[in-house]
Amino acid sequence: MSSFAQTQNPASSAAFDARRAIKWFLIAVALVVFLIWLAPYGMAQKPGRLVESAIRGVLVGGVYALVALGIVIINKASGVFNFAHGYMMLAGGLIFHAFFSVAQVALIPAFLFSAFVVFMLVTLNGWRMLRDPRRLVIGAVGTALLTGVLMLPGQDWQLIRGFVGGGLGAAALGLAVERFTIRPLIGQPLFTAVMMTLAVGEVLHGLTQMVWGSVEIPLPVFDVLKRIGLPERLSIDGADTWLDVSRIVFNLELVVAFVLAVLAFIAFVLFFRFTNVGLAMRATAENQQLAQSVGLRVRVILAVAWAIAALLAAVAGIAQGGATSLSQNLPGLAFYAFPAVLLGGLESIGGAFVGGIVVGFVQEMSRRLFPGLQVDTELAPYLVLMLVLVIRPDGLFGQKRIERI
Amino acid sequence: MSSNIRPSGVFDTTYSDDIALNRTRGEKAVSYGIVALLLLIPLLSLEGPFGISLVPQSLVGTIIRIAILVISVQGLNILTGYTGQVSLGHAAFMAVGAYSGAYLARQFGFSFWLALPTSALFTGVIGLLFGLPSLRVKGFYLSMATLAAQFIIPWTLRYPLEHISNGSRPLDVPVPDLFGINFGADGAMYYIVIPLAMALSLAARNISRTRTGRAMISIRDNDLAAELLGINVFSYKLQAFFVSAVYAGIAGCLMAFHTNNISLEFFAPQVSIELLAMLIIGGAGFPLGPMFGVAFVILLTQNVIPALVPSLYSALPSLLPFLAPVNVFAALNPLLFGLALMIFLIVEPRGLAYRWEILKISWKIRPFSY
Amino acid sequence: MRKALLLVLLAVLIVVPVGAQEEGLPDFIKHTPCEVDLTGQTIPIYHLGDISASYAFITQPLLVGLTDAIAYYNARGGACGATFEQVNRDTAGDPAQSQAAYDDFSSREIKPDVLVLYASGDSELLRTQLAEDEIPVMISAGSVDGLYGENADEPGWVFASNPIYVDQFGDFCEFVAANPEMYPDPVIGYISWPGAFGEAAFQPESIAYCEAAGVDVLDTPEYFLPSATDISTNVQNLVDNGANILYTNSLASGPVIVAKTVVDLGLEDDVQVAGVNWALDTSVALLSRTAIGSDGLPAVNGLVGSLPFHWYSEPDHPGIQLVVSQFEANERQLSQRNISYLLGWALVDTYVELYAQAVNQAGSLEAVDGALMKSILETIDYYPLDLYHLNYPDGLRSTSANRMAMIRYANADMTGPATSGDDALKIDPGDGTTLFVPLLIPLEDFAPAPDLRPGQ
Repeated sequence: MSSFAQTQNPASSAAFDARRAIKWFLIAVALVVFLIWLAPYGMAQKPGRLVESAIRGVLVGGVYALVALGIVIINKASGVFNFAHGYMMLAGGLIFHAFFSVAQVALIPAFLFSAFVVFMLVTLNGWRMLRDPRRLVIGAVGTALLTGVLMLPGQDWQLIRGFVGGGLGAAALGLAVERFTIRPLIGQPLFTAVMMTLAVGEVLHGLTQMVWGSVEIPLPVFDVLKRIGLPERLSIDGADTWLDVSRIVFNLELVVAFVLAVLAFIAFVLFFRFTNVGLAMRATAENQQLAQSVGLRVRVILAVAWAIAALLAAVAGIAQGGATSLSQNLPGLAFYAFPAVLLGGLESIGGAFVGGIVVGFVQEMSRRLFPGLQVDTELAPYLVLMLVLVIRPDGLFGQKRIERI
Repeated sequence: MSSNIRPSGVFDTTYSDDIALNRTRGEKAVSYGIVALLLLIPLLSLEGPFGISLVPQSLVGTIIRIAILVISVQGLNILTGYTGQVSLGHAAFMAVGAYSGAYLARQFGFSFWLALPTSALFTGVIGLLFGLPSLRVKGFYLSMATLAAQFIIPWTLRYPLEHISNGSRPLDVPVPDLFGINFGADGAMYYIVIPLAMALSLAARNISRTRTGRAMISIRDNDLAAELLGINVFSYKLQAFFVSAVYAGIAGCLMAFHTNNISLEFFAPQVSIELLAMLIIGGAGFPLGPMFGVAFVILLTQNVIPALVPSLYSALPSLLPFLAPVNVFAALNPLLFGLALMIFLIVEPRGLAYRWEILKISWKIRPFSY
Repeated sequence: MRKALLLVLLAVLIVVPVGAQEEGLPDFIKHTPCEVDLTGQTIPIYHLGDISASYAFITQPLLVGLTDAIAYYNARGGACGATFEQVNRDTAGDPAQSQAAYDDFSSREIKPDVLVLYASGDSELLRTQLAEDEIPVMISAGSVDGLYGENADEPGWVFASNPIYVDQFGDFCEFVAANPEMYPDPVIGYISWPGAFGEAAFQPESIAYCEAAGVDVLDTPEYFLPSATDISTNVQNLVDNGANILYTNSLASGPVIVAKTVVDLGLEDDVQVAGVNWALDTSVALLSRTAIGSDGLPAVNGLVGSLPFHWYSEPDHPGIQLVVSQFEANERQLSQRNISYLLGWALVDTYVELYAQAVNQAGSLEAVDGALMKSILETIDYYPLDLYHLNYPDGLRSTSANRMAMIRYANADMTGPATSGDDALKIDPGDGTTLFVPLLIPLEDFAPAPDLRPGQ
């Protein structure tokens, strides 16, 4: 990732180096001044509390990173910024809940659901796929298999059912969004597609409202982890150490969400390293028509990107829903992950991860140091974002664009 | 766009013809007719001098709300439609206009007529400040820098400036006064807002016809090329930010004096996104775009959908017996809006104004298709 | 299956009067007798508010309550023979939409005689216009700005049926001061949602009142977003500064996450949670079933808050019996058995009384207008379904009778509250959670809450 940053190599004259030195000197001075200004606030806190906030910030950042990752994937593939991500989180979490929290799924809903998922997957590249008898057979077998898995009874299969149903459901949701709303806009102005995501968000708002109403739904997904013997919370005892606080506690939910984010991050880095899809996505984002004309299957690439993003949204929705609850408040979280996306750079997977961690860290620290002023959610992440953008206009790890006329 | 497409053989012979706003007598008549009609509307409502209710009273309020937002979106059009700098912080600039206008009127007893330009200028300066990142930052990164304004400005108003803004509590704004005429009633406020909206729309249109406007458009189309042509890109971007913020400030100030009671909820981040949606729906970069977009969204959300909801609500729950009726009712508003927006974007991805231009051209060159 | 279980449970919990009156209202409802017959006419109940956005948790059950109550009263003669109909409008929490909805209502050929609002933000926005158009408003719990204007000195056209939030907070402090064995050395930390509603109780007047009563309130409040993942830092900040009571002016997930964080941080024995009347609700009690405290009961067990009306867990109360029997007859979901459902019923009952009085004075339904309704509201002295006392003496715009209550959970024999998870009644609703049956136990009798409007 960082190789992009280093390849920028314009005129390497002495004047340029001098300007660069001055720039970094100024930044260093500003940083020192900032730290001196901040020091009294930090000194007023016990060291243990600062350590606690730092760790908690990183852990909370995991959730932001998951959200940001989903937004980045779509942007990487199509250049579209997805405003519907918050509602995709909620919808994914609710689909998961539907399979997770029932004793058994009835035959007809399981079959209809499976048929829909398989249909969306089989017709990935367009409706024409339906003419191919081989695919129809694969589809039928897939539907039967999926129905079988979803109908596994009892609590023992709860988690499997939830993840298979929720994961595939979310992927199918992503595919449906792409198929019915984004695909008709291939070749149209980019901002039309961005506005379309806004419309998608509204429709998902309406649909979730219609089916589940406005009640807050508890999602006891972490109980399963407790059942297999994981501790409910991690606790550090620091009464007589330099930490100077009696107990520092972290919830299992936060740690699990963080681990999920790390796993997702590793998976995607590997995915993009060892497949050509990443490159194809970048080409598609650059120019859809050109990408199509050199033989890239733009539609498939876009569809895959949306499916992956919806999957990530569902994971984030499950993590957040498990920590709090599934409700119409949940989509609001995506709004607060926007700075994380930009901080890291719109196209960078690693950047989204780092951005999420930074935003979480900054939030928790400012919550600790400046209580009662809502600096944490409203001000601090955006100030950091502004600062980063002024120093590095393409985010920390964003792709530096070489512009030509 | 190509509004000067004419039947073959008809040419502009002078430069003033070429840039004329109304090219034909017919167009002129239509424009004046619309102006006259708009100015007549409140007179024909129940609260007008004649007391005839030819026009429903609530239409007056709707038109005022549309006109105020048209001013705001015209500003956004200059910044986003002409100069290509996508802003997600426009509602925050409206908040600056609203709160500075209210503060001047409450604290220093400024009359509305003095508070309006002062707050507009002040908003412009704040807009300049948040336009500074455009020196280095481009594209969606810049949108996010403007989204930062959407969080930083309300935060500043809510906490450090709580003594001015009343924090998260609402703020009363005095009723504007003109030569002893009190503008409390909707009908009277109408005659401030509508002429202003017209004048400012015309001004926005004229900006696009000047050297500045052409420079802005060239920056939108290709900022590198513009720079090579000798256009001071940064200066023009800042000008666009300034003008756009002034428009937002005027709209915000009008909103404050119209509702007489403002709170930060009026300027939530969603409002910025909605303003942008209105512009895209109407057609970014078209002079008529803001009017089409605002009217479409406002009429849809505030008139059409509420009118549809009762009948759908009486029909749907019996069709969907497995859903709770109250869930269906609550879902209708977002669902209908989302679906309407979706269908609209698929059918007309370039905005209403684009379709309007095509209609106009095909009318002019009828009966031929090109 | 799940629904059936819950319904059975409800039926067991509350003794339903068998063979309730088929025709006519029960005796305990004492409306003013009608002198005019309005049979054949309709009275619309206008309501505008956020039905699909963040406050939908409380407005959706309100709509259900209105629906059931209207059906019930319409079948029993309505208001002097006139039948009610609901006119709801969803504003999605957007002030521009509220304004549009209000313009639509107020410019109808027959202006509404009275309007129902549920968001204090809407009442603040429409305050001056309501006075201009002469339309009184009934709201559940209003804000100072909405009821009395910015300087709190002009009682307007908005009437609240619960004490306002500052008064509730002051009343809580009074309760704390009066119960030192429950709250030794009380220090209150204020933790809530940001925004007009969440910040409403934390005002100089209420803080001064608490201090005067001997209850410390920390200077710095903490605010967290409804979508926040983890609020440990907020809670820790307050506790580090000495707070042993956390007061929250939030609803649904708000009080739950506060209580859950207290449990997670191992502060259960040192810190108590309290809240506004919305915190004492079925939604809060049910949502907490995934956050279990060390005693095996949901974390919100023991949460104290205002309960300015009678509640479902008082099965001897005739109004409660009526609402519960209708709730079950209409097969409503457990999540709708909350404050707003109850208040929806009380609201329709109030409407019947208001119109009976108004028609008696005006002579016909057409002659009833907003000004008349306002004068009736100013002098009203009525107990809607006997749930609370509706009267507004001396230019007050909110009711003042209040009491504190506590969220508890029923024990296995359903004879009273459980002391720990072992003896609690647990139900498996089939979604992997364990359901505890919430009870709200009143801790004191109704008494006037302090009047903490600014400048009083």
